[in-house]
Amino acid sequence: MERPRRITDSFPRRRRRGPGRPPGRLKDRKDKDKDKAQLKVRDCPRAASQPPPDPALMEMLRRFDLSWEYGPCSGITRLQRWERAQELGLSPPGPIRDALLEHGDNPDVTYRWVWDGVGW
Amino acid sequence: MFSEQAAPTAQGLLAPPSGEPPTFPRVAVEGYSDLSQPFRLGERSFSRQYAHVYAVRLAGMRPRLERRARGRWGNDIALRRLSELQEGEKCCVVGTLFKAMQLQPSILQEISEEHNLVPQPPLPKYIQPSDELMLEDELQRIKLEGAIDVQRLVTGTIVAVYGCEQEDGRFLVEDHCLADLPPPLPWSGPSSDRFVLLASGLGLGSMSGEALLSTQLLVDVVTGQLGAEGEQSCAAHITRVILAGNLLSQNTQSRDTINKAKYLTKKTQAASVEAVKMLDEILLQLCTSVPVDVMPGEFDPTNYTLPQQPLHRCMLPLASAYATLRLVTNPYQASLDGVRFLGTSGQNISDIFKYSSMDDYLEILEWTLLAGHISPTAPDTLGCYPFYKSDPFILTECPHIYFCGNAPRFQSKLLQGKEGQRVLLVTVPDFSATQTACLVNLRDLSCQPITFSSFGADSED
Repeated sequence: MERPRRITDSFPRRRRRGPGRPPGRLKDRKDKDKDKAQLKVRDCPRAASQPPPDPALMEMLRRFDLSWEYGPCSGITRLQRWERAQELGLSPPGPIRDALLEHGDNPDVTYRWVWDGVGW
Repeated sequence: MFSEQAAPTAQGLLAPPSGEPPTFPRVAVEGYSDLSQPFRLGERSFSRQYAHVYAVRLAGMRPRLERRARGRWGNDIALRRLSELQEGEKCCVVGTLFKAMQLQPSILQEISEEHNLVPQPPLPKYIQPSDELMLEDELQRIKLEGAIDVQRLVTGTIVAVYGCEQEDGRFLVEDHCLADLPPPLPWSGPSSDRFVLLASGLGLGSMSGEALLSTQLLVDVVTGQLGAEGEQSCAAHITRVILAGNLLSQNTQSRDTINKAKYLTKKTQAASVEAVKMLDEILLQLCTSVPVDVMPGEFDPTNYTLPQQPLHRCMLPLASAYATLRLVTNPYQASLDGVRFLGTSGQNISDIFKYSSMDDYLEILEWTLLAGHISPTAPDTLGCYPFYKSDPFILTECPHIYFCGNAPRFQSKLLQGKEGQRVLLVTVPDFSATQTACLVNLRDLSCQPITFSSFGADSED
């Protein structure tokens, strides 16, 4: 016999915010936590399960970011920028895309440069 | 149109009622496809800067402009970037225009404490003789002077200029060109008369009873409830109605309730609630009879930035039960019976009007087609979504009918291009002010206005 249908199938349970919290998307809290986690990860050395990214690779990616032919680099991920350059016919170098896909889970590699007021 | 094409055996209104009332089936819709997918935004992220829009616009239009420059000034001209310019060398540069205007409203000046300025009241035009034009490419910018009309051009246009750099660092322009008409689309229009009604600026919620009578007359003509059998048989040839924005009036946008105390405004309802209910009833009458495309406008309850997303169907519960109602984006692109429509609700044209010396809406409409871009002033002075991948406002193909809504008066022109393009330019007038709508014939791309004026209390009769 199949599971009886519940009202939570069509109206899923949402996490209730505490009293007195300003209305806003719960997603904001999640993003802040993610940012904090990312900062922490950058400061301390990476966990041993992942191989550390090659400094030559990081240098190549930085040069890709700063090359003006492919447009501005702020606010979009490197892969998005690569694909945009490809569609506009600017022929970005292929090894960059392979590197980005290979290290897709490493935030330092995928890297979306966002101006957050902390820098200088 | 109506009286010329009335059915020959039709009887006038003064004839006795016939035993068997004749019915006129509306011509069936063939070949409709909605092509405004590039204007629909899925997930929106505003954490990007607008530099991407300009970079993509320049990169996307550069090949077309280079081809046009070569065609105009010879195949052997030197195409240079601004960083490669040599003094005194005649060359061609492709870049984005920026017009430095003294009167342009600037938020930084308004909130700057050292100036202590009162915010500038909105002016009809912000042009001044002291405006300057600059050309920017990916890396540098240079001031332009010479054979280029500073007052006429606006920020954000992609141009190719031919000239040379002077000693003082300015570029002396000898000639310039825009992207010109986009490549033509094949014509496969209908062979019999098919009409599309274009109306804009219904202006509901403005608390004026006269405008409502004209709107009701419009609905009655389209649904075939007005006129004798001659008019009804002609109205049966109307295949679609497109409402190009400003369905609600500007009066519904008053925000003085924000400044008042809460206890005074607790029971008041926003004026747009009542107006949307009226809109729903009007659309219900139209939708039972003819397919309707509803585009949002400047004063409608949708987002402010271009491209405006469709109105939500929960606001129109009665009308959205019908499949003939289509809520579409602004700008809107569709293919109807083989004829390509492209149009906006007029915000792009009125923004260019404010920052350019061009006065005629039809002239501005034609100019945007020649510039190859629907709205060059976005995002500078017109709100725009921060695209990063491609600029959907670039015109890649030449539409057959290009319209803009909420113009001060009705104008139309058939434009013929060098590569065989045929475009009908229509400025759809504001219905609440002029009570005029447009009927476009798809067979031969002709257009005529249709006015529903009624006698007001102060008219002599």
